[in-house]
Amino acid sequence: MTSRRILVETKNLSKDPPPGISATPDEDNCRYFHVIMAGPKGSPYEGGLFKLELFLPENYPLCPPSVRFLTKIYHPNIDKLGRICLDILKDQWSPALQIRTVLLSIQALLSAPNPDDPLANDVANMWKNDEEEAISVAKSWTRRYAVMDS
Amino acid sequence: MNTEGDVDSDMECSDNECFGDDSDYYNTDDIDIEQVDPSKNDPEYFEFECLTEEQVERLLNESVELLSNNLQILPSLAKVLLHYHNWNVSEIIGKYRENASQLLINSRVKPSSAPASNNCSRYLTCPVCVLTHSSDKFLSLNCGHLFCKGCWTIHFEVQINQGISTGISCMARECEVLVPEDFVLKLVLQPNIKEKYLQYIFQDYVKSHPQLRFCPGPNCQVVIKSQDTKAKRATCSKCKSIFCFKCGIDYHAPTDCHTIQKWLTKCADDSETANYISAHTKDCPKCHICIEKNGGCNHMQCYNCKYDFCWMCLGDWKAHGSEYYECSRYKENPNIAHESVHAQAREALKKYLHYYERWENHLKSLKLEKETFDKLKTRINQKVMSGRGTWIDWQYLFTAASLLAKCRYTLQYTYPYAYYMDTGPRKELFEYQQAQLEAEIENLSWKIERAETTDRGDLENQMDIAEKRRTTLLKDFLDV
Repeated sequence: MTSRRILVETKNLSKDPPPGISATPDEDNCRYFHVIMAGPKGSPYEGGLFKLELFLPENYPLCPPSVRFLTKIYHPNIDKLGRICLDILKDQWSPALQIRTVLLSIQALLSAPNPDDPLANDVANMWKNDEEEAISVAKSWTRRYAVMDS
Repeated sequence: MNTEGDVDSDMECSDNECFGDDSDYYNTDDIDIEQVDPSKNDPEYFEFECLTEEQVERLLNESVELLSNNLQILPSLAKVLLHYHNWNVSEIIGKYRENASQLLINSRVKPSSAPASNNCSRYLTCPVCVLTHSSDKFLSLNCGHLFCKGCWTIHFEVQINQGISTGISCMARECEVLVPEDFVLKLVLQPNIKEKYLQYIFQDYVKSHPQLRFCPGPNCQVVIKSQDTKAKRATCSKCKSIFCFKCGIDYHAPTDCHTIQKWLTKCADDSETANYISAHTKDCPKCHICIEKNGGCNHMQCYNCKYDFCWMCLGDWKAHGSEYYECSRYKENPNIAHESVHAQAREALKKYLHYYERWENHLKSLKLEKETFDKLKTRINQKVMSGRGTWIDWQYLFTAASLLAKCRYTLQYTYPYAYYMDTGPRKELFEYQQAQLEAEIENLSWKIERAETTDRGDLENQMDIAEKRRTTLLKDFLDV
């Protein structure tokens, strides 16, 4: 059952990719996806291309996929190992969600950081106390780590 | 025959003896029992029952039946409502009469928005496995979200393996509707997972029931039931665990649940200092020989120079006569407000150490007195063998030892209480009573360890005094 579901999702992702996101399965492992996400317009991540990895566990879609940023990013809900604090990746997961919806939710998180539910405490504090400074750090990190044509 | 009896009670008494009629004897006995009603006299009085799993099952089912009959709903839905409302049947019925639909939405039985409409085609595609099946393979809850039976089953298995039971909800995105018990049991067929589910759901029900508590003893299945959900002492009839009914940790009178939690966390945090304190030896204050404490009593006698001193303060034991006994009281530096921050920090640490040392010391004494208990057995055996009294003659020592343990236990838990108390007359009173209790306990401990005769009068007197001090302190300060 799971293989059929993964097959359908993979086909849909390549046929009709969500805007600003590409997800391609690994050649050797159809459960491992290489993801590239463009920083959303109007966010401090604009202009950057962020690499992520996405893995579908054995119980997928009854269990949520594991997703992690590989590119360094300055964001209150993403820690320095790239782990993401997002409810649908944990207790709010529903088997009716898909890889596509998960990636779109992550993209939305980049546009709207939530410093009240932080994963990276120092970043979140900066975001709350001095948002302007936090945004400028996020922009400089984007330039430094997420712009590939340098 | 007793009509004249109330004229002269002495006569009545002799009448009864003469005629052998004991109906009145029992009557007066009843009055005696009423006079010593433990619920009024004993500050630790607590009524509770120890139930087996079957008895709890029966008790819960009574509530389920009552509610499902009253509201004409399925027992499995009644269980969802009861679990959500902490088994308060009357509250549920009240809310149901007021606004049934709102109650069902709040309890996650019905969806908050209108149920999803389903087309009635013969074949449907399951959104989870994206396979197409005939529509009779599909099931939904009240919310109308259809999924195939196979996906439901795997969903339940994954959730149950994560320890989730009453909290399993519909698979649809952002749908809050809970899956009732019968729906799960209909679809989960693997016996071991079914077993797990029933076990978890039972645990959830007991935990949500305000009158029920699992015994915290290791591998103990007993459930304690009490009408009264106060921080009182419950004793498991099976594994003999003694715990606080309210918070489930070791019984802690006179300290309340919140304070003891704070204290235990503090002690765990300050483990470095605790390590430093837990050195087991001290030097004799007179001859400076190194002494290891191997009994529970704090009244020490140096085996070398025979000096009597207090293990706690290393002061002369003679100064520990009950009125002067100040060893348990912490003397605060009165000028502390004017001292530097550094000095204040040192003072705070000193204060904590004072209480911690005593807390830790009584804990250790309790453990050592367990060993004393075993030593008592051997000693009594020897005495009986050498013809000095019978086994029964020596039994009083065991009673004394268990009373000592009870008193010392309470004394141990007076220290966190005192630590968090505000300075003032009430604290002074508390520390006075605490000191009195401590003095009597040390006396008792000393006497038990050295009891050489079957002469029990002196010891029983001491037991009575210690227990009276303990109840007095609890009566005045145990506030639950």
